[in-house]
Amino acid sequence: MNASKVLLQVDALSAGYGPMRVLHEISLTVCRAEIVALVGSNGAGKTTLLRALSRLLPSEGHITLNGQALDAMTPDQVFARGMVQVPEGRQLFDRMSVEDNLLMGAYARRDTVTVRRDIERMYALFPRLGERRRQLAGSMSGGEQQMCAMARALMAAPVLMMIDEMSLGLAPVVVDQLLDVLTEIRRNGVTVLLVEQDVQVALSIADRAYVIETGRVALDGSAEALRHDPAVRQAYLGI
Amino acid sequence: MDLLAQVLANGVLLGGLYAVMALGLALAWGVLNIVNLAHGSFIMLGGYAAWYLFTWLHIDPFLGLPLTAAMMFALGYALQRGVLNLIVRAPMFNTLLLTFGLDVVLSYLAQIVFSADFRTINPPYAGSQLNLGAVVLPVARLGAFTAAIVLTVGMWLFLLHTRIGRAIRATAQNLNAARLYGVEPRHLYALTFAIGCALAGASGALYGTVSQINPYIGATLTAKSFAIAIIGGLDNPLGVLVGGLFLGLIESLTALYIGPTWSDVASFGILVLVLIVRPTGLLGRTA
Repeated sequence: MNASKVLLQVDALSAGYGPMRVLHEISLTVCRAEIVALVGSNGAGKTTLLRALSRLLPSEGHITLNGQALDAMTPDQVFARGMVQVPEGRQLFDRMSVEDNLLMGAYARRDTVTVRRDIERMYALFPRLGERRRQLAGSMSGGEQQMCAMARALMAAPVLMMIDEMSLGLAPVVVDQLLDVLTEIRRNGVTVLLVEQDVQVALSIADRAYVIETGRVALDGSAEALRHDPAVRQAYLGI
Repeated sequence: MDLLAQVLANGVLLGGLYAVMALGLALAWGVLNIVNLAHGSFIMLGGYAAWYLFTWLHIDPFLGLPLTAAMMFALGYALQRGVLNLIVRAPMFNTLLLTFGLDVVLSYLAQIVFSADFRTINPPYAGSQLNLGAVVLPVARLGAFTAAIVLTVGMWLFLLHTRIGRAIRATAQNLNAARLYGVEPRHLYALTFAIGCALAGASGALYGTVSQINPYIGATLTAKSFAIAIIGGLDNPLGVLVGGLFLGLIESLTALYIGPTWSDVASFGILVLVLIVRPTGLLGRTA
């Protein structure tokens, strides 16, 4: 791995809630314009890891983004440096229009003209959102809501987009559409950290993956290699 | 028939003023989850501010509205950052206790500073009327109604179309998601509360031109604002406008057909009915 290509570097990160340790010395690397998957079953610590990365949860160890240490930063500062989350359960502003949701994604940006242009780009990327731009976000289907949540995060002009449980509760055909969009997003230079319970989905799109078990990195490698790994096949893919 | 038309006109004029009174309460309630029991006292303070501006500096209460609103905005911002921030998103009971205390402090301070005398802002046109055949509209009331409508619609447009307005709505709907995208809640809360105070202050100035102010008008006005917010919902200033007009009409009609002493009974009776039949409000969402 070329050091200049590294975007996110996590070294020996440990975190937990009160006396309870959830994460134990996790180390991982995400390179620019990569799609990296973080997979593992329920309760493995994936969401806790995301919370620690975005500094909502204090942790030990080191996190650097673009060579800058994030350890002492607040969530706002981390966000301002381009680390943007698509939260689990989408967390849209349900009683606001799709367009207002996208504008809220761009809340911290002051460049009105480019924001306007980016909204049109989102509608090109997700044509369904364009058709429904005036509709209340909460009245759309689950898949459309997930698209809206991803578009909202993209409106924040992220360097690294972290998506928590993108495929949860969605029909396979919808998940396929979202995966196509992820490829497109990466082509535009946005790096994606995909946190997924559905290992099959995650490994089908990611370049590399980390398998988390009980708060530790159990396995890591290229998605291709993990797909053929006997342990992964047996434990997660049911083959 | 003419009498009915006149009473309906009175009800509408009163209702517009009620709406702008309730607007600030609904805003703080929806976004900060604070039912501000001191809201009526802010209206009262706005009334006195306008009265002093008029009596000492001869500033017309309508022209002085921005000034009154600005003073109340500053007070609201400071109060929120200094005091109410302690109880944002706290259990409802704490917010009620704190704002009730604030109400008591403000009304007693007002009594000491302003005396308990009744005050009315009496601009030169206070006695003028507009004769429209079937109905007669007092100019001051018509002015207060017009200003109230402008403020309410302005507030609606502000919430709908500005960056801060969007952030206020977003924070009311989903605080965590709003924080995720860079909304700083402490500043936004203070801003929201200050806007609510400014609206209360402006409505107090309008109230002072059409009615009388004294240090104790707060409690009744808080209760009426509360009723309107419940009826109209917290989401949308236009809902609050409908709620205000509804309450104004009910009160005027009750005063005509049953007797003036019954108008409060009628308006709060309606409130209780709404809470029983449609606890989510007649028009929209209620906390």
